Amino acid sequence: MPIIEVKDVRLTYRVLMNRNGSLKELFRDAIKGRVRINNYVALDSVSFSVDKGEVVAVLGRNGAGKSTLLKVLAKVLPPTQGTVRVSGAIAPMIELGAGFHPELTGSENVVFYSTLLGRDIKKTKAKVAEIGEWAGVTDHMHFPLRTFSSGMVARLAFATATAEHSEVLLVDEILAVGDASFQEKSRARMMELIASGAAVVLVSHDMKTVRNLATRAIWLEAGKVKMSGDPEEVVSAYEKSF
Amino acid sequence: MQSLQLIRLLVGRELTLRYKRSVIGIGWTLLNPMLTSLILWWVFSFIFASRLPDGTQFAPYLMAGVLVNTFINQGIQSAAEAIAGNGSILTKVYVRPQIFTISSALASLVNFAIGMLPFIVVVYISGQQIVWTFPLVFVVGFFLALMIAGIGLMFSILYIRFDDSRNIVTLLLMILTYLTPIFYPINALSQSMQSVVNANPFTSYLNCIRWAASNNSEATLTNWIVVFVTGLITPIIGSLMFKKFWPRTVAML
Repeated sequence: MPIIEVKDVRLTYRVLMNRNGSLKELFRDAIKGRVRINNYVALDSVSFSVDKGEVVAVLGRNGAGKSTLLKVLAKVLPPTQGTVRVSGAIAPMIELGAGFHPELTGSENVVFYSTLLGRDIKKTKAKVAEIGEWAGVTDHMHFPLRTFSSGMVARLAFATATAEHSEVLLVDEILAVGDASFQEKSRARMMELIASGAAVVLVSHDMKTVRNLATRAIWLEAGKVKMSGDPEEVVSAYEKSF
Repeated sequence: MQSLQLIRLLVGRELTLRYKRSVIGIGWTLLNPMLTSLILWWVFSFIFASRLPDGTQFAPYLMAGVLVNTFINQGIQSAAEAIAGNGSILTKVYVRPQIFTISSALASLVNFAIGMLPFIVVVYISGQQIVWTFPLVFVVGFFLALMIAGIGLMFSILYIRFDDSRNIVTLLLMILTYLTPIFYPINALSQSMQSVVNANPFTSYLNCIRWAASNNSEATLTNWIVVFVTGLITPIIGSLMFKKFWPRTVAML
């Protein structure tokens, strides 16, 4: 049974035309009968499934619906139609360090972020030192996060997100974290997770990464699946479209 | 289980963050209601102290009012803001959004509990005593936190969708403040105004807290019923409303 199963997913954003996020103006427009609601279709009849150990790359131009798709898989956005089934723990790496707070220390942030991901607080506390060491920020763990460099924050976030085994990894353009040696290290950790049977959905504009890592590619255009299959074929077709 | 751990972390986080940048830190929670009460006492004691029923002291009456009012006002505003303010988390990681609202209301309850320390001092200074029903203050406080979380959930959709809803909520809260007997005795009002103030559920909470702490007010059976009923029903209504609109609203975060 596949770990991720997406069936006929459609997602529409409701956009109020001449909306400025103001009640006053909405009221005024309602009186004048000018309220128009537009449905912006971000995803349309998208179906696919991902098995254990598969790495699926999602390609597409800006605004094609790639990030929306990841958010649907992360259960953050409920689909307007269709069903999404994801079994097992999800490690969403849609934006590294979501939930990190600059005033809290490195350790506190690791504990908070892990708890957000649904991990047990005691287990995490036992692992904090290990996570800090792997990220190479051991000396800074007791200082507020605002004293960290942005590279250090990203490394700590990556280390926290991948500290525990997850069945599903959702990755949005993050393999370019830190300097060359850390990139090598994070790539190795990803491969380790994939080898241990995680299913990965990867959004990337870097075709080299896609060719190297993906076992399958999906090309989204205007919310629809334009092509899917062998990464080599999809990537070359995608590159020709420019 | 995991939710409880997260709530505990969020409450602690909200409390530490609030004081991290302030020199006197947690002292502000103690000082703020005392200063407000002092000014109100200075201004109003001449007019109102003599109109209180026998056995009621103005200083603890006022201070209980100020503490409850701060709890309600700041509580509702930060509970309503909790989900909008944590939008960057909610759009990236799956967490039940209600957890943020509940944690915020509980953090306000902790602040209220801290404010009880200077309150106890004022009770003794005014010549009254803390009575055996005092622990009920925290029971009423807990129900008030539940009600605040419920109201926060109702407003949080508006807070995400409309930026100017904050101004409207601030205005409503100001009206509410004046319709709660914080610094005036109810019997100083006209008959018709008295029924309006008594219909305000927060008046019931305040009466029960004043009564439980130092017997400084009457609390009728109706007051107690209002406390328990609104404390239980508001969060249910709030979360039903929230659940109905959330799927369409989350995309706007």
